[in-house]
Amino acid sequence: MNYHIVVCVKQVPVSNNLKIDPVTKNVIRGTEAGVMNPFDKNALEAALKLKERYGGKVTLLSMGPKNFEITLRGGLAMGSDEAILLSSRSFGGADTLATGYVLSEAIKKLGDVNLVLFGRQSIDADTGQVGPIVAEFLGWPQITYVNKITPLTDGFIKATRLMENMEQSIEAKLPVVLTVRSELNNPRYPTPRNIQLSYQKKITIWDEKDINADLNRIGIKGSPTVVRKVWTPEKHEKKTINLNSDPNQAVLEILEVLRAKNIL
Amino acid sequence: MNNEIWIYAETHNNLVMPITYQLITKAKEITNNKKIVVILFEGLNDNLEDLIKEYGPDEIMIYKNDFIKKSGDRVIATLLSELVLLRKPNSFLFGATVLGRSISARLQAKLNTGLTADCLDLSFEDDLLIQTKPSYGDNIMCEIICPNHYPQMATVRPNIFVAKKDLNKIPLITKITNLKIKEDKNIKVYEEKPLLSKGDSISNANRVIAVGRGAYNQKNLPLIEELALKLGAKIGVTRPLTDLHPFSVDDQIGQSGNTISPRLLINLGVHGAVQFTSGILKSELIISINNNPKAPIFDYSDYSFIGDAHDFIKALLNIFQ
Amino acid sequence: MNNNRNEADLMLHQMVLDFAKKEIKPFDMIIDKNKDYPKELWNKVLETGFLGLIIPSAYGGANFNPVAEAETIYTIASYNASLAFTFEGHYKTVNQLMKYGKDSLKEKYLPQATKRVFGFGSTEPQGGSNVLGISGSALKEGNHWILNGNKTMITNGGLAEVYLVLLKTDEDEISCFLVDDEMPGFKYGKREEFFGMRGTPVGEIFLENVKVTDEHLLGSLGEGIEIGNNAHYDARINMGAIAAGIINHALEIVVKYAKERKAIDTPIIELYSIQNKITEMAIAKENSKLLFKEAAQLKLENKPYAKLATMAKSYGSRAAFSSCDNALQTLGGYGYSSEYPVEHLLRDSRALQIAEGTLEKMVVEISTMINKESE
Repeated sequence: MNYHIVVCVKQVPVSNNLKIDPVTKNVIRGTEAGVMNPFDKNALEAALKLKERYGGKVTLLSMGPKNFEITLRGGLAMGSDEAILLSSRSFGGADTLATGYVLSEAIKKLGDVNLVLFGRQSIDADTGQVGPIVAEFLGWPQITYVNKITPLTDGFIKATRLMENMEQSIEAKLPVVLTVRSELNNPRYPTPRNIQLSYQKKITIWDEKDINADLNRIGIKGSPTVVRKVWTPEKHEKKTINLNSDPNQAVLEILEVLRAKNIL
Repeated sequence: MNNEIWIYAETHNNLVMPITYQLITKAKEITNNKKIVVILFEGLNDNLEDLIKEYGPDEIMIYKNDFIKKSGDRVIATLLSELVLLRKPNSFLFGATVLGRSISARLQAKLNTGLTADCLDLSFEDDLLIQTKPSYGDNIMCEIICPNHYPQMATVRPNIFVAKKDLNKIPLITKITNLKIKEDKNIKVYEEKPLLSKGDSISNANRVIAVGRGAYNQKNLPLIEELALKLGAKIGVTRPLTDLHPFSVDDQIGQSGNTISPRLLINLGVHGAVQFTSGILKSELIISINNNPKAPIFDYSDYSFIGDAHDFIKALLNIFQ
Repeated sequence: MNNNRNEADLMLHQMVLDFAKKEIKPFDMIIDKNKDYPKELWNKVLETGFLGLIIPSAYGGANFNPVAEAETIYTIASYNASLAFTFEGHYKTVNQLMKYGKDSLKEKYLPQATKRVFGFGSTEPQGGSNVLGISGSALKEGNHWILNGNKTMITNGGLAEVYLVLLKTDEDEISCFLVDDEMPGFKYGKREEFFGMRGTPVGEIFLENVKVTDEHLLGSLGEGIEIGNNAHYDARINMGAIAAGIINHALEIVVKYAKERKAIDTPIIELYSIQNKITEMAIAKENSKLLFKEAAQLKLENKPYAKLATMAKSYGSRAAFSSCDNALQTLGGYGYSSEYPVEHLLRDSRALQIAEGTLEKMVVEISTMINKESE
């Protein structure tokens, strides 16, 4: 069976120590370029392993501004064959629903895709929703939080889903959407040679016209959720309070604090 | 659109996951003009509604089927969407668990509505659900609303809210009989293996007891384990203890171990070396016990007890009896 | 500048940093204690293709330039100096094959250099880097050369499998040959036990009537001294990078410690005597970086770089040693203890004043170059 695997990737900020501009209420992004979402690297590694074993093609897919290109280049340097960046002003401001719609339309346009991989969530937004949304829009089954993959032949895939209390072993007929956990693998480094070779591979840019998007379903228009307020929670300076030296008194004091804070 | 808040009951074998109860209690707290309805899918021989009703929702809708859990997320989401289209609830809440997140996102797409993940707080302004959640690694908080689409959906992390029984309320039990489960021939759960080891790591724990060299001895260990059980806390250790029974590297907190962000962290006999403290900085409330007044851990603590860990543990256990 | 190359260099830099933090950092002290590289680490080094960093793509390499090469060494040296020293020894040798080897020899051996470590043998038991004192010989016999000699103090000796050796082909004539440890007559000698850089094997080889074809002669007859000198200059860029990397490492340790450690209630980083040391180390780091980067840039632009390269090593080696000494003093008892990383940094840095030419030799060479320039 010929695999055409699409790996959906996102570029995330380098650090999570972001501050809010008190005037514009916008997040002040650092000047450092972003990096590929770590879980997406696990997804890409899984795709590359499948390709190495069974043949086929790996395509990176991402929705974002032009500066996402460096992340796609990094994915090409890990070994992907080609990359597609969905970039347009009208995609901006999208929530998970609008993002999922755009990605799924791009996958439909590619036509011969039989497996789509996502990281389980992005480390900036942390929603973990886009994978299942894309699966739903494609009409494909999904296996989320995958920590093991053993594909079979004949167009079936076997994967293990790691949940809080148990591991589910699931068999599904392709095409399927998977979201993967970091326990799945150790992503390979982009080797120096592959970094150079990645410049011979193509990054294609698509906008809403290329995917024939319904303009009501993209960007802000296509986003049911709205952020209405953003703020930095106060970091308290830890000036420690000394508890009573009698342990019995001390624990009563603690109990009061725990109740007041709604921890107990 | 009616005035119902739906809650998807998350269950595992014969247990109801605590997040279900926590959502019921929270939903009751934040509204007095909406009905709280729990959606329960269970096996033919289960009666989990008997456990759920102790938390006093207004209604429990039950669908009994032995195969539903083995048919994959898509089938569950489809069933839920049919129910939603029948009754059109105002909001639908799920636990931010593997299952909850996977099903709710799929359902969101089916219903073309908004879903906010990992909410730390919920409230109502009339019929508008205000969803508060962290973003960018918990350094920024957002308030999110879904003003024009229904149901308004949200997932909530376990142990954010507290569950409280309400035996005064007798819920209406509704059996769903007219739903047909469309088997998904393309996917099958063929095995389920329970996790014997500490399945979810300490890094997700909401309450943690950290044990350091100062508190590790054979006298304290059983007491610490009892305390952990009573508090619903996970036990973590400093590096030197990772070689000592019953701990391992998986239990380590710190730079080369786990980073934790619990609401409550109790440090017992922990000195507070940088390698440890760098893993606890996002803890909400830190209480440290050490008999060395100069221990650096106190610089990172909200409350300090200078004295013997053993005495403190015993005193704490006493008030929990 | 080619935009693509800039981005590729950035990606390389990020990858090397990630690799160093994840794969090398945990083993820094272990490498010193065990005097070798853990198998898992070495396998990852090979898999990632570090050995082929500077080799042209046509031969299976990654085709990165001297600046990227030196910066890679700098990053690795910031986490483990021995491994950086191993890379330095390999790259210096491969550079000579690339520059002086016949096409047929390059086609045969450059692809191998992406997987097998290369070493350069010039020193002999009687002589130091004084190339003219060489007694190892290469005698012509029909279409072949018969090689005899004993080369010592080879960086990576024992780990490397292919060697460039400087041998006497005639009275006052030194030439350079490539030998492969699979050749009959090739033998390994002992491994040195050194004060520092204990992960880098340094060893000796014996050539007993090793027979090679003309193809194995690098450059032309008598070009051995030039090749040897060129190897030194290439090496010194990276030795400067290693020095800067060691200072980088030591500085990081000192700052972290000084912020935590308190003298009564004051973190010692607020005390003048410590601030003095930290400032000196920080400036030494910037100076060393500027020198090796300038030397590498000159090489990239095909301009003469021998002087800058020699200065980079000369300055960097002393600055690294005194920075590590300052670091040790700052950490006091912990600095002197073998359970903390500072003392092995000091021992590692000491090698830089000797390897690839002693400090004294650097003085002579630099002032000779300056003298020549002013003619």
